[in-house]
Amino acid sequence: MPLAINNATKVLPALLFGGKEYVALMHLHSEVDEQLLRGTFNKFIGKIMQLPPVRSHVKRQYRQREIYYSDILEINGKDVLFKVGVESGTYIRKLIHDMGEDLKTGAHMTELRRTKVSTLSEKDNLATLQDLEDSVYFYEKENDDRLLNKYLGSIESAIDFLPKVFISDTAVDPVCHGSPLAVPGIVKLTGFDKDEMIGIMTLKGELIALGKSVLSADEIKTSNRGVAIKTDSVVMGIGTYPTYKKIN
Amino acid sequence: MKLPLESLKHEISSLREEETDSRYGKAPEERSIKERINYGFILLDKPAGIRSKTAAYIAKNIMATLGAKKMGYSGTLEH
Repeated sequence: MPLAINNATKVLPALLFGGKEYVALMHLHSEVDEQLLRGTFNKFIGKIMQLPPVRSHVKRQYRQREIYYSDILEINGKDVLFKVGVESGTYIRKLIHDMGEDLKTGAHMTELRRTKVSTLSEKDNLATLQDLEDSVYFYEKENDDRLLNKYLGSIESAIDFLPKVFISDTAVDPVCHGSPLAVPGIVKLTGFDKDEMIGIMTLKGELIALGKSVLSADEIKTSNRGVAIKTDSVVMGIGTYPTYKKIN
Repeated sequence: MKLPLESLKHEISSLREEETDSRYGKAPEERSIKERINYGFILLDKPAGIRSKTAAYIAKNIMATLGAKKMGYSGTLEH
């Protein structure tokens, strides 16, 4: 489970983008032929329509979600263990239910474990609550920051997967105040399209804010004025960088 | 198998050369522990059987001596 501290909490919605990977256990209501089962699994790869469950946080209407991959790991009688990579907002319980309908036997989910969130995976420095206690203890009592360094990551590393722009020192403070970012403020950039979520960074690599691109990276490269990125959620505190006066 | 955004590498291209003033801000890898808390991020292995909210609350209390005031979490299991 990703946790973000203080200022970093503002980027949490961005972490929900990107895919998720789960390992789930499906329980079939009666045994089915393996060939048939594999056929159904393959049918539910790619774009599918899904109706959110009765108890859910979103409006209950059909919506399209993409299943990137779906692999059966083990079949044991009526139990099917499988790994599935899905678009954010896909309900696995529902996916299993729908596959059950397709098989005409019915099925339900008995277990679910998430194994990846976009770029974060369980292999990374996963900390238990006990690990956190230990790392704070060693740091406070014995001045040993090794554990803390291991578990306390930076928000920048968590948004590694976002396209970014790196901006001039003079443009930092206005963005901290929520101003949109204009083309001349940009010094370096990665590739991106219009209407994408962008990380606005300093030249030192600190995250200032998240924004939405108004122009694509290619358009920015060929123009010298106009709004490039609209600022959404600001992470950096006002006053971290000074206000520069206009020189002209 | 890979998710779409996974192991995505973004090529950075420069529009111009520009220096940054070392008096302001700090590169993420140079931050002190106290500074890192403000831009901190943890991947928690949530114990089974307690709510995400509770786990985040406990984590916040543990980190409070280091200056953690807010602890946000994202992602519920069934999505």
